[in-house]
Amino acid sequence: MILVRKGRALAACALLAIFASGAAQAATQGTLGATSTGTVTISATIPSRVQISGLSDFVFGTLDPTTDTSLSKNVCVWSNTGTKGYNITATGNGGVSGTAFTLTNGSKTLDYGVEWAGSTGQASGTALATGTAANGFTSTATAPTCGSGPTPTASLIVRFTSAQMLAAVGTTAFTGTLTLVVAPE
Amino acid sequence: MVAGSNPGARFRGVGRGGNPRPQCGVAWLKGAAAARVAAAAALLVAAAAPAVAGPQAEISGLSDLAFGTVTSLASDAVRTESICVFSNTKTNGYSVTASGTGTGGAFTLASGAFRLGYDVEWSDLSGQTTGTLLSPNTALTGLTSSATVATCNKGPATSASLIVVLRAASLSSARAGSYSGTLTLLITPQ
Repeated sequence: MILVRKGRALAACALLAIFASGAAQAATQGTLGATSTGTVTISATIPSRVQISGLSDFVFGTLDPTTDTSLSKNVCVWSNTGTKGYNITATGNGGVSGTAFTLTNGSKTLDYGVEWAGSTGQASGTALATGTAANGFTSTATAPTCGSGPTPTASLIVRFTSAQMLAAVGTTAFTGTLTLVVAPE
Repeated sequence: MVAGSNPGARFRGVGRGGNPRPQCGVAWLKGAAAARVAAAAALLVAAAAPAVAGPQAEISGLSDLAFGTVTSLASDAVRTESICVFSNTKTNGYSVTASGTGTGGAFTLASGAFRLGYDVEWSDLSGQTTGTLLSPNTALTGLTSSATVATCNKGPATSASLIVVLRAASLSSARAGSYSGTLTLLITPQ
């Protein structure tokens, strides 16, 4: 019986020691003296984040269906990963699926193409497929909305081929929405 | 008391062999004996003098500051803790000098090669969420402690506030990762 009690006491002591060690902090306390020094450890985790900004609508006006045409706009993409890498997924809102790169005027549809470049001022880039991430881009942005450092960092290009326009001739304006999702890499 | 001496008898003017010595003090002694008596007297005077404690201070009650995962990089993240600073000077005054683990004591956390700057503020009141901004290795003077004993185990349990701020500007310009660093706080009584 005594042995059992001793065993329990030892177990309790061991548990106390475990709790005591678990509660121990890396902070160190000062001692009373002519000066006293203490230390604390500070820790923080910053998760991977990206941001796309600087977007504006693409307005083509009246198109000439006999000539391919495109518009390119500079946008800001910021990534805080170690490599500042990101991927981009573009999704349209047309077609049967509701995700095709297709505009509509209510009665007709007009397909378009989307391209992306990881630098500014580009007239062409990597052709995107709706809903599919294009990987391996790197941002030069140093602030989330490019408020400092390089202002825009990438190019978004929307393109119509002559064939696409000839298949959709109409007098009513075509509209649609393009959604861009950026993810850190 | 010095072993081998009997200053009481000698000051009463009784020399070796019991001959009366009318002189006071140690003037009648010569050589090594006089030196021993003088040393003994000096020790007695020193022992009789009241102990005078020099200015002393103590910082305690510190714990680590863990921000965890900072979900919003667009706003400041703040951690504060109330701690105990004791100073035994007449005014209970003290100064605090903080230094980080960055270059030259800079307040920066590290995640591999990446750095994350932070601000340190101090208040000589507990429970504060803002204070005076500290510069690395530069003493903030003119502080007063309300602690009545070292480690604050009597009187106010805490007497000062340590505030660490991760500014939004720093958060949004830092790379993703787990950062850590050590902040050293030096208290000097004033």
